[in-house]
Amino acid sequence: MDDNPIIRLARPLVRVGAVASGYGLLVLSFLVGFEVISRKLFDFSLQGVDEIGGYVLAVVVAFGLSFTLINRAHTRIDVVLGWLPKSFHPVLHFTAFASLGGFAVFMAWRAITTLGESIEYKSIASTPLQTPLWIPQSLWVLGLVIFAALSAALALHAGYLLIRRPADIAGQYGPRTVKDEIEEEYAVPARRPGAEPGDPVR
Amino acid sequence: MIDFAGAVAGFAIMLGFLFLGLHVATALFLVSAIGAVAYLGMPTLLAFGNNTWGVLNDFILTAIPLFILLGEILMRSGVTERMYVALSDWLNRLPGGLLHTNIGASALFAAVSGSSVATAATIGTVALPAFRSRHYNERLVLGSIASGATLGILIPPSINLIIYGAMTNTSIGKLFAAGIIPGLTLAGLFMAIIAAACLLHPSWAGTGEEPASLRERLRRLGDLLPLVFIFGVVMGSIYFGWATPTEAASLGVIASLVLAAYYRHLSFSMLNAALESTVRITAMILFIILAAFYLNFIIGILGIPQAMTDFVAKVGATPMQTIFLLMVFYLILGCFLETLSMMIATIPVVVPVVVHLGFDPVWFGIFLVLMMEMALFTPPMGMNLYVVQGVRGGGPLRDVVIGTLPFLLVMVVFVFAIIAFPGIVLWLPGRMLG
Repeated sequence: MDDNPIIRLARPLVRVGAVASGYGLLVLSFLVGFEVISRKLFDFSLQGVDEIGGYVLAVVVAFGLSFTLINRAHTRIDVVLGWLPKSFHPVLHFTAFASLGGFAVFMAWRAITTLGESIEYKSIASTPLQTPLWIPQSLWVLGLVIFAALSAALALHAGYLLIRRPADIAGQYGPRTVKDEIEEEYAVPARRPGAEPGDPVR
Repeated sequence: MIDFAGAVAGFAIMLGFLFLGLHVATALFLVSAIGAVAYLGMPTLLAFGNNTWGVLNDFILTAIPLFILLGEILMRSGVTERMYVALSDWLNRLPGGLLHTNIGASALFAAVSGSSVATAATIGTVALPAFRSRHYNERLVLGSIASGATLGILIPPSINLIIYGAMTNTSIGKLFAAGIIPGLTLAGLFMAIIAAACLLHPSWAGTGEEPASLRERLRRLGDLLPLVFIFGVVMGSIYFGWATPTEAASLGVIASLVLAAYYRHLSFSMLNAALESTVRITAMILFIILAAFYLNFIIGILGIPQAMTDFVAKVGATPMQTIFLLMVFYLILGCFLETLSMMIATIPVVVPVVVHLGFDPVWFGIFLVLMMEMALFTPPMGMNLYVVQGVRGGGPLRDVVIGTLPFLLVMVVFVFAIIAFPGIVLWLPGRMLG
């Protein structure tokens, strides 16, 4: 599946980050569930659960961006691409990844600046928890920096392929096809007749 | 700050980036960056970091991953297949037999999932083999799956409606409530089409089969209870004002875990897989959303919604003309753009205009989702057509297209109905508490 050397290299780390942030989501749902029930039944509120929920989303997205990237799941519009002559495709795939790399690096840079301001001004969330903002923002920045590094590496690699082996670029940097998406749906074991519960997804 | 021509030029640049195959988020960001640098100067561009933190650090949007997780856990617990069998037991009796199960199962699955493509692929995978052996009319089978699956984004909890609510500051609880009656009505209309077609051509409904014993059917009916329970927990807590949508989603996740444990599917490997999927889909959606919120921010400063509103006033378009124009606009755009991206990219400009014209934002949210649904199965580019064709694995695409046409016709009629009678959409949310 992973013909791309960078993705092959990055996958284990990126996957761990994604799953770990996912468990954050799971813990969050229990916190929120507890909060709702205790508020309704015992008139007791934990305070600040919604604030944590916001942080969890920011961190899940920051770490998820890389995971989505290595699964080639960031949305691209391929309809018009299909109408253009095949000879244009390598340049366009490269352009997409070069601009994504630029965007990701810009985003990480601005996020670092935001974190720096929070540290400098000792910013505190205006909530009951009074969380020092640098705590959630550090995790957020870490995720975005990984995404920036990964995107930049992929952009450089795409550029290398464009010059040396343009025929290979579509396979590694082309958009996912409907077939890919369906295979993903098939990959869910509980829906495959005869599959055992807990079968590995791939 | 910017006139109508400038706004149109900006939109054209964005479409250009999209059509060149840039990632949707990059395209939205680049066009905002161009607008920011050309008209507003560097500080506005550099505000991107704070802007993004503000967008992502948001409890309302946290509902998105939680609802995705809820659907993922249920899918991986084998609930879908049990649900399909249990529904087919009872819907089999109607003229059209098993075909009704496609619609019913899609509607019910949608009630816990919220993704049309996932619904089409899931139902297609479960259903197609059963139909082959029973000699149903293949076009009708394919059509019912492709169109039934679009109900997924209308019947709550709908990710699309959460995004719409978050981007336009509209109550997500009200949007969810507003989606119920149109969703159920459409499901009913789709089933009526199937029944009518099969009464006219009994051979289309294939060779019937002996229904299972009443006892067996009653036993399997129990498989529907968990889904009804989860839907009840999620929608009930929102409807009665006990919980926000995000809190309701958390309750749903907990309930789905209990269900997974009951069906003996709860394991770390299942959870890991569900979380991986959840994180991947969440980041895919939120990447576009964070770029769109920045675009929204720039568009707001540039005064584009105002310029558009002025333009509509100047040409003297009536509200009705504007809505019909938007219908055509979305149908054309839907041929090229992936539906979710299309919705997110157009909300910042379109919604202020229609609200200014006097349309209710809740009503327009449902209208917009109906447009997305139509785009999903309108030939030549509707995504669901290709998903169903892909699951089917052979034969001409034309079969799927012809099969969906009657359903498409019903949907067009229904859109006209909600334009003529907005109460279809607005009655239920109007009765909501809290």
